[in-house]
Amino acid sequence: MNGAVWLLIGLLAGLVAGFRLPVALPLAMARYHSVALLAALDSVFGGWRARLVGGFDPAVFLTGFFGNAVLAAALTYIGDRTGVELYLAAVFALGTRIFMNLGAIRRLMLGMTGSNGQPQPPRSEETP
Amino acid sequence: MRSRFEQLAMVLVAAILGLMLALGFRMQTAFGPTLQNRRWDELAVMLRLCEEERDALRDEVVALRAAIAEIGGGEQLDVLAQELRQARLFSGLAAGVGPGVRVTLDDSSRPQQGGEDPNLFLLHDDDILRVVNELAAAGAEAIVINGQRRVATTEIRCAGPAISVNNTRVAPPIRILAVGDPQTLESALRMRGGVLEILTVIGIQVQIEQLGSLEIPAFAGTTRLRHLQAAR
Repeated sequence: MNGAVWLLIGLLAGLVAGFRLPVALPLAMARYHSVALLAALDSVFGGWRARLVGGFDPAVFLTGFFGNAVLAAALTYIGDRTGVELYLAAVFALGTRIFMNLGAIRRLMLGMTGSNGQPQPPRSEETP
Repeated sequence: MRSRFEQLAMVLVAAILGLMLALGFRMQTAFGPTLQNRRWDELAVMLRLCEEERDALRDEVVALRAAIAEIGGGEQLDVLAQELRQARLFSGLAAGVGPGVRVTLDDSSRPQQGGEDPNLFLLHDDDILRVVNELAAAGAEAIVINGQRRVATTEIRCAGPAISVNNTRVAPPIRILAVGDPQTLESALRMRGGVLEILTVIGIQVQIEQLGSLEIPAFAGTTRLRHLQAAR
């Protein structure tokens, strides 16, 4: 089966599990969770873009996905402890990067020049 | 080109992302519209509005209770109503008037020396308790602390910077009204080695006025009993 289909299935399974699981995150965790989620999304879009560009490295992606999420949450925690709103910095930086990556992905999928300057055939890696 | 392990890891990452998204969504729907995003000043305004509403409702409660007491008619009912009035007056549910004393307590005005515990010069809950207790011992038939009628459930306790009476915050200056024989009440407080002496030693300002007519408000809190039942 196509890799993308498997990814979609995984995403759906996670969503269903998240909505079905009886656990609920405590309110105190809300901020950390949101920032971690943002970092995870950033990693995913970054990985997607790297795939389209051709420089996708699973090891980099995996470490980035988990590491960035944990780091972002930890940074928020430190910010909360010290009274500095590091939370906002994370939201701003990650948000900006997500939009930049999205723009690059859009351009790459339209078959235009990628932001790395090389013209890329779209979805060249999609066929295994 | 991609190993089985890598593909599995990617699917796992996708699942985790989905899980996080779902949890985040659930959390936002659960807590989002509540207090999380409100600012302090908004909350302060909300608190004030709620307190105003509570005070208005309290007045309504008092008015309605008075109205209930007025309902009557018929001889037996009159007797019952009379009895009810007495019971309500005694228990604090009805407003009343009578002679008595007004005791005003305030924080110490003594200039503070260096190295002294500032707590010593503030009016505390136990100071008020002592005065109230002494007044009750001297035969006060109704006691009011800053508008709060003392009833069976009344507490007088420290609540941070304020003092909580009938679950309402009161702050110095504290005015205690006590209905009873004014002379007896005042002498009870001024007794040698009594309450007043202790308070004045630490500099608490105390004023006692004998008044011919005190207006005693009714208790405005809840009277619903959840655990206590009438004995058979």
